Amino acid sequence: MKNILKIVVCIKQVPLVSELPWDSQTGTLQRNLSEGMINPACKHALEAALRLKQKHGGHIVVLTMGPPMAKEVLYEAQAMGADSGILLTDKAMAGADTFITSYTLAKAIIKKCPDFDLVLCGCSTSDSETAHVGPQLAEELKVPGVANAHDLKLSGKTLRVKRLSDNFLETLEMDLPGLVTITTQEFLPRYVPMQGIQKAFDEANIISLNAYELGLDAEKIGTKGSPTRILNVYPPTAKKTNIILRGSPEKIVEELFYRFDDKIGGAIGKDLKTDE
Amino acid sequence: MNFNPCMKHKLVRKTVRNFAEAELGPLAYEVDKEARFPVEVIQKMRLLNFFGIQVPPKYGGSGMDSISYAIIIEELSRVCAAIGLCVSVHNSVCIYPVLRFGTLDQQKRFIPKLASGENIGAFCLTEANAGSDAGGVETNAVQDGNHYVVNGTKIFVTNGGVCDLALIFAVTDFKKQKNNASVFIVEKQTPGFSIGEIEDLCGMRANPVSSLFLEDCRLHKDFMLGKPGDGLKIGLAALDAGRIGIAAQALGIAQAAFEASIRYSKERYQFNKPISSFQTIQNYLADMATEIDAARLLAYRACAVKDMGHPFGMEAAMAKLYCSSVASRVTGLAVRIHGGYGYSKEYDVERYFRDAKVTEIYEGTSEVQRMVISRAVLTKRT
Repeated sequence: MKNILKIVVCIKQVPLVSELPWDSQTGTLQRNLSEGMINPACKHALEAALRLKQKHGGHIVVLTMGPPMAKEVLYEAQAMGADSGILLTDKAMAGADTFITSYTLAKAIIKKCPDFDLVLCGCSTSDSETAHVGPQLAEELKVPGVANAHDLKLSGKTLRVKRLSDNFLETLEMDLPGLVTITTQEFLPRYVPMQGIQKAFDEANIISLNAYELGLDAEKIGTKGSPTRILNVYPPTAKKTNIILRGSPEKIVEELFYRFDDKIGGAIGKDLKTDE
Repeated sequence: MNFNPCMKHKLVRKTVRNFAEAELGPLAYEVDKEARFPVEVIQKMRLLNFFGIQVPPKYGGSGMDSISYAIIIEELSRVCAAIGLCVSVHNSVCIYPVLRFGTLDQQKRFIPKLASGENIGAFCLTEANAGSDAGGVETNAVQDGNHYVVNGTKIFVTNGGVCDLALIFAVTDFKKQKNNASVFIVEKQTPGFSIGEIEDLCGMRANPVSSLFLEDCRLHKDFMLGKPGDGLKIGLAALDAGRIGIAAQALGIAQAAFEASIRYSKERYQFNKPISSFQTIQNYLADMATEIDAARLLAYRACAVKDMGHPFGMEAAMAKLYCSSVASRVTGLAVRIHGGYGYSKEYDVERYFRDAKVTEIYEGTSEVQRMVISRAVLTKRT
């Protein structure tokens, strides 16, 4: 295990998008009613890890935090080719915000995979879309982090990472150990082969850890330990106003640019005031 | 007794559903219309081990249980029944008898290529004058030293047009009236073996169902499966396993028709209301849901009995009989819910309706299933 590439992939079980039941009274997702799946971006991160392993060899540990049923996604990850799985599950961990989630994941990584080379996460999750956990986890682990990557190239202990930042394609390099979050732009996840599923269940290599086993104080994790709270969730209300411009075509166009030059400029990628 | 699917079965269903919807979904209409076997998807299915579902890993298979197998067939058939049929026949009536009755040498020789899907298998019992009457087989195999010379014509062979290997039933003992048939493993390249024209059928049109001709095919006795005269025994055992596959296939078709009906009944407005708000449609949907659930439980019970190593002939026959009749009824109701559109090729339920019909016919007609079941219940001590 000493010289091989050790990758930790953090994955989250999210409700199956097509079955996402929404409680309009409470404004929350009815997670208990829906089937779970691996969060799409996390699956792309796992695919990125599998491709690195295919090319360079290595060992992939998948890590998730959630209720006991979240074990499903660890089996699926193993069916795809991950080597082992860790489930962090404890009622005390429930309701953690992104800060405490990162803290808890970091504790597990430090305890169970202290000699990791690379941590990969999905850039964000389909059920909350904060994109906080990956970057916060890099902070907790005190390693360099790059968010929203779509291409990885490993050379020795240096990782070259490509990402789209606004409209710029950035190429960055980091020394490992490090953390990268992966978008759904590339790394299309492979289909799970049938023998992979059977093998995952026959040779399951999954451990479950609770707060006590991780050495965590139940008061400092989950809802109790979280410094942020969701007060309300509601669908955004968009106000639409129809504006009718009248007059000659020249006047209408002039008026249009006067009112909306920033929006038109944004759409065509040009500052209309400076013409640059 | 636990009626909840375990994590493995849930994962199998989700995985196959994703694959089938993404890869077969966009083609299902076209391959039916053009009666085309989609080799490009079959190639992907080979890599995912759909052709060695229950084959032990030592031969390159997945070594899965029968419920997983049924779920796979169900989910493939939910999207494209003709491909569910290909996988079902290959895994059950072709591979299963070779695994159960084949010698170690036969298994080592034939199973790995079948499990990888490099070779596609077929099962050939039906002839012009033999089908439900398995004893009516006229294809014959005359012994000549260490060889048999096989002559005959097999008809309505599922996978026939693309098969690389076929199990052929032929009479080997011309003096006996009973137990006179044997089974031979015949490879496509055997001189004298040829494939007839693809049948123009009502449903399952993407599966190349054809006749197979055997003209003086010389087969070494090592190509005989089991012992001389074991034909009927092997055939019936193969069909027991095959019936689970057809039950699962019928379930998949019924499920697809049911889901389409739910969607359509919410979208279709008549008298300013969605038709799902009318009690008649609600009754149809309630009957469909109930019958599909009952059918599924029967099918999975047959799988569970098989996996326990118990005789499962009666359970498989019950599952096949009920699931296929449910598929016919449910697809019929689906057409009615869709009205004129259900009779049009524009909507998938028209295909489901055609595909469902044959599940009551092949691998033992419903009448034969009733024969199997009644024999079992009449000989049971009560």
